Amino acid sequence: MAKYYDNYYSSRTVEMTVLSGEDLRLARKSVKKNTFVVVRSDGSNFRTTEMDGGESGSRPNWNEKLVLDLPAHAQAVTLEVHCKTAFGDKIVGTVSVPVADFSGGYLSESGYLHFLSYRLRDSRGEKNGIINVSVRMEVPIPEYTCSASVLAPEQMTVGVPVGKSNFGGVVTGVPVLCAYNNRNF
Amino acid sequence: MGNCCSDDAGGRMAVGGTAASHANPNAATSNDAVENFLRSHGYPFSQIELSLSASGLRDRDVFSKSDPMVVIYTKERDGTLVELGRTEVVLNSINPTWITKQTIAFHFEVVQTLVFRVYDVDTQFHNVDVKMLKLDEQQFLGEGTCTLSEIMIRQDRSLTIDLLHREESNRGNHSRNCGKITVHAEESASSKTTIEMILSCSDLEYKDLFSRSDPFLVISKIVEGGAVIPVCKTEVIKNELKPKWNPIFLSIQQVGSKDQGLIIECFNFNSNGKHDLIGKVEKSLADLEKLHRSKQGENLFIPSSVGHGHPLETKVLKSRLFVDKFTESVQHTFLDYLAGGFELNFMVAIDFTASNGNPRLPDSLHYIDPSGRPNAYQRAISEVGEVLKFYDTDKRFPAWGFGARPIDGPVSHCFYLNGSSHYYEVEGIHGIMMAYMSALRNVSLAGPTLFGPVISYAASIASQSLANGGRKYFVLLIITDGVVTDLQETKDAIVKASDLPLSILIVGVGGADFKEMEILDADKGGRLESSTGRVASRDIVQFVPLRDVHGGQVSVVQALLAELPTQFLTYMRTRDIKPNV
Repeated sequence: MAKYYDNYYSSRTVEMTVLSGEDLRLARKSVKKNTFVVVRSDGSNFRTTEMDGGESGSRPNWNEKLVLDLPAHAQAVTLEVHCKTAFGDKIVGTVSVPVADFSGGYLSESGYLHFLSYRLRDSRGEKNGIINVSVRMEVPIPEYTCSASVLAPEQMTVGVPVGKSNFGGVVTGVPVLCAYNNRNF
Repeated sequence: MGNCCSDDAGGRMAVGGTAASHANPNAATSNDAVENFLRSHGYPFSQIELSLSASGLRDRDVFSKSDPMVVIYTKERDGTLVELGRTEVVLNSINPTWITKQTIAFHFEVVQTLVFRVYDVDTQFHNVDVKMLKLDEQQFLGEGTCTLSEIMIRQDRSLTIDLLHREESNRGNHSRNCGKITVHAEESASSKTTIEMILSCSDLEYKDLFSRSDPFLVISKIVEGGAVIPVCKTEVIKNELKPKWNPIFLSIQQVGSKDQGLIIECFNFNSNGKHDLIGKVEKSLADLEKLHRSKQGENLFIPSSVGHGHPLETKVLKSRLFVDKFTESVQHTFLDYLAGGFELNFMVAIDFTASNGNPRLPDSLHYIDPSGRPNAYQRAISEVGEVLKFYDTDKRFPAWGFGARPIDGPVSHCFYLNGSSHYYEVEGIHGIMMAYMSALRNVSLAGPTLFGPVISYAASIASQSLANGGRKYFVLLIITDGVVTDLQETKDAIVKASDLPLSILIVGVGGADFKEMEILDADKGGRLESSTGRVASRDIVQFVPLRDVHGGQVSVVQALLAELPTQFLTYMRTRDIKPNV
């Protein structure tokens, strides 16, 4: 089912909330403040969190939601933890988050809020802490809806096909997914 | 702090006040005094108040209606009844509503059977305190039984049960229906109010020779009689004299009340378990709230005895404790989610590897004793299943076997226990037992022991249910006799499942050395890492070896189950999922 939708997208939007980091070290010393995270989906698509000044305890807490475009060809989203030191901007650790970890599978179109954690590695490839994030894929908006809402013309529209293959025909499916709200749990 | 060696990783973790959890009891192997104490006393439970009313009671008196009273009992595992309390006597009514409420603690991990016996109190005793009444001098009107969980899963928290009266007469024993009793349960408010605090210290003293102290806090409460009971402890911060710990979450009920005296001690962590006291303060939660508002610090003090014969003096230190955050909120409890329609779905996977031994021989772990004595597998299924079945509305449980060769096939690491090829559920705990026994006759034990396939299957069921908008939380019980062969594949499956509404209970049976399996339990081994660099976002695995338990009230399996409400709540709270739509 997911493959069917891929043909319709040139890009999707992903909401990634960068939560916190644990056990980060620079030159063997624990890093707790003046850190920020760069989230990158490809060369030109990236967002940065604010700098964490270290007021919130023993580990960096960014708790910042970043929204960025995920191009259709992107296989992974890169997270880079930076630290502003006296010697300049240093990269503490990076990780490549596969798009498959938060998209595809049963939950792909449901707007599910994924809570994910990853091992960070420094520039030499050594383990350097853990980063915690939550991710939600934007739910695609179908063209025909039951409710009378106005859609901006440039928005992506997807119809939910009902019945046999209907390529080239008008899609008149019931978009169960547009009404799906993860608060229904 | 005790002269025991605590395992380093376990000893450094926060216990008792961790985020969205009100108790996180530590490993059975850890000897640290605080951990042991919390394990035996710290499980959070909700206080429930039961209100009773009845209808259709029999008239015993000729000229007037009955004067009924209820005696409430709990039924122990061996069938004995223990009296909990009595209501007052309502005069002249066959449809009474009693005012006296019975308080009982809700323990998720055991089946709490309640027995209600209604008596008609004779007129001559009407001015006597109910506690003094001799029941054999009263008229027995009828008895009703139910479990506490049956009441708690109902949306209106009310359950009406028939009152029965076994009568012996010449015509033989039979039960007569003597009316109905309605039990209504309410969770007490103190269970729900949670305080979130961020504590920090300044100017702590150097306790280690060559480095700064590694401080952590222990919060204890002073109860009547002077005993000091630990409530929670923070994580250990290494090498820091100005520590600021992660937020602590405490329910008012854990502490007693907001005015309950608390002792907050700051220790320096030592790997050998002998932690040095850096200093302490004595404050109640209400005092801490005032401290937060005033933005002042409170100086720590340390008791010091000065020589022989001098009374214990206290030395006030330069170090200070600050309350950087103090918020009070009403948190939804596990019972709130049950009332809101959430359910727990029980799933079971059984190890059919050859190491169990030939099932036909009495020394096999899979031997079915003709006398009916359950083997280790049957005991584990029944101990966990009998508690969890109440929380599963359709009572249909997915059941799998792994590590065996079904009749004419290759070794399967995830086959349906009922022998079907397209339908993996069985009906009731009885259905699991039947399918298990029939599978023993129809498969050849093989190997190796792999958990990956059953965990992945359970995860896909959870994931599908979520996608369909279900309000279900899944509990997978894996019963195994041996150490898992491909540890990494199992870790990968667990890491992927940590983002789903799923908890995994692993029970080890037989005499194998399960040390390696403890790695899967984050309480003992730290966060699990997959082969692709992904880390488990929450702890979903609990492991316990089922040794033969001789006596003792709390079995090890119950200790396993006691953590489930916490895991459930952590999942719901981090995703901000509320009980009601």
